[in-house]
Amino acid sequence: MIGAAVASLALLERDLRAVARSRSQLYSSVLFPLMLMALLGAGVSSGLAPNSPRIIDGDYTSFLAPGMIAMTALFSSTFSSAGFYRDRESGLLRAMLASPYSARTILFGKALSAILIGSSQAFAVLALAVVIPGIDLAWQFGWLGGAATVVITVLALSFMLSGLSLLLALRVKTMQGFHLVFNLVLFPLFFLSGAFFPLDQVPGWLEVIGYINPLTYAVDLLHYACYAPSPDGLIGPRIDGLVLGGLALIVFALGLSRAPRAV
Amino acid sequence: MPSPVHSSIDSELPAQLSAAGFEWPGGRGVTDIDLQVRRGETVTLLGPNGAGKSTILKMLSGEIAPQRGGVAIFGSPHGAAARRQIGLVLQEPSTDDLMTVQETLLLHGRLFGLPRVELSRRCDDILSALDIADRAGDRCETLSGGLRRRLDIARALLHDPELLLLDEPTLALDPESSAAIWYSLQRRAAAGVAIVVCSNDTAEAEANADRVVIISDGRVLADDTPQHLTSALKHDALELDWPSPSDHELSTLASWDGVGAIASHDGALHLTVDSSAEIVPLLFQHFGSRISGIRIRESSLRDAWFQIVGLPLDEHPTQQAAARERPEGVQQQ
Repeated sequence: MIGAAVASLALLERDLRAVARSRSQLYSSVLFPLMLMALLGAGVSSGLAPNSPRIIDGDYTSFLAPGMIAMTALFSSTFSSAGFYRDRESGLLRAMLASPYSARTILFGKALSAILIGSSQAFAVLALAVVIPGIDLAWQFGWLGGAATVVITVLALSFMLSGLSLLLALRVKTMQGFHLVFNLVLFPLFFLSGAFFPLDQVPGWLEVIGYINPLTYAVDLLHYACYAPSPDGLIGPRIDGLVLGGLALIVFALGLSRAPRAV
Repeated sequence: MPSPVHSSIDSELPAQLSAAGFEWPGGRGVTDIDLQVRRGETVTLLGPNGAGKSTILKMLSGEIAPQRGGVAIFGSPHGAAARRQIGLVLQEPSTDDLMTVQETLLLHGRLFGLPRVELSRRCDDILSALDIADRAGDRCETLSGGLRRRLDIARALLHDPELLLLDEPTLALDPESSAAIWYSLQRRAAAGVAIVVCSNDTAEAEANADRVVIISDGRVLADDTPQHLTSALKHDALELDWPSPSDHELSTLASWDGVGAIASHDGALHLTVDSSAEIVPLLFQHFGSRISGIRIRESSLRDAWFQIVGLPLDEHPTQQAAARERPEGVQQQ
């Protein structure tokens, strides 16, 4: 058991070092959501003057912040999973799977790094959103409770995405195919998660899809933790936590259970 | 001469396959493979690309489980303990460009549970032994093909395995790098490590293997020492540019004293003879107008292959297909 933990940590350390050496990925994953908040937020706030009660004072930039935290976790986790393909193509994954540890241990180590990288970048976006003037976050249960909720939400989201990436990567043989599937599935899901617009004012059929969408529960929990001044109009932390946590556990376990020795 | 079926498991044998078979989707695979590898023995699996060598290696390494028959590593079925005994070198260099040479070895050592101090010592030793210590801090992307291959081998040796499995370790390498790799492998073999190498290079197999297992179309056709495989051959090998010899011409040739195996393939006639000095004048006397070129050399494992399989190794259909697919710049040694 200790040996397996050491092996997973070795893989985690190696992937973190690889990300640290690939600085463009590191910077762009944090800068892109900030840029989106600055440009889209300012444009919509002043150009469209949104008057939904869920967008406090018509400040769309601040409304976007929780969604951008979720988006960072989403894209960083999936991009980190691309490392799986790099290792598979280079043969390194086969060499790693020849070790005495089970394929699950190896893939767990790789998934762990995707989770940590995705989460860290999401936390960096949160930290910048806190200090950047013009972004007003509301910590209805205090900043400590709110920050803890954000951390748990982002970790659960990253776990779920990492499991999903693993499931996909074990089935889809090329990185291009992986990104195609992910873009085809995740972009629509992300747009319908409540990150860009409140779901309670969209047509009924869109609202239904929104509530089937697992990302909705992550974004709702983030709104609850660091943006909304009150729980009114939100799904609520119990349901959010149950859906997100349950799915994270199921999808991650499913991803690891499919781990083959030969790739 | 396939080796007999060994149904009993010998715990002293580093590797053992008994009537093992595996079929890939699409139909390719291997059938009824019996193989025993002893301590300190170097066994070359010789065959063209697609013959099934890598499939056998994957069964030995535990990457795939035989669908029929069995595999045993030191008498036990595959598992963590078996993998701890195995050092694996894949067909292509398998390193991460962003990692340094030392980091590559450290990662591998930790995956094999080596304690840090011991790991550090072994890294230094193995890098020195393979003459790449001066590149320890360099990223893998800066290494030449030969150095990457040495790093692959260093990684496979790092945890001191009892069984080394290598898939074409010297493919596309210059002679100097190949010699360095074989030198380090022979030292390991002398220390009792069992070595299984996939290759389609008959000269390399003849020079380095204790035993050669000839594989074609997923089956073992011969399993013997290079000396035994070549001892049955005539002394010289002739290759004649002689398109489409008739049955009568072939039977005439076969009736001559001193002529051994004869096979015609793709515009060339291959034959082994006791003495080229005696046969060549006869050939030109009887069939001079039919022969447009001739190459003479001493018989080798290549001719044994030819005699057993019926096709020259480099003219095997799968080998030619692989050569056509091989990217520019990748040459076989």
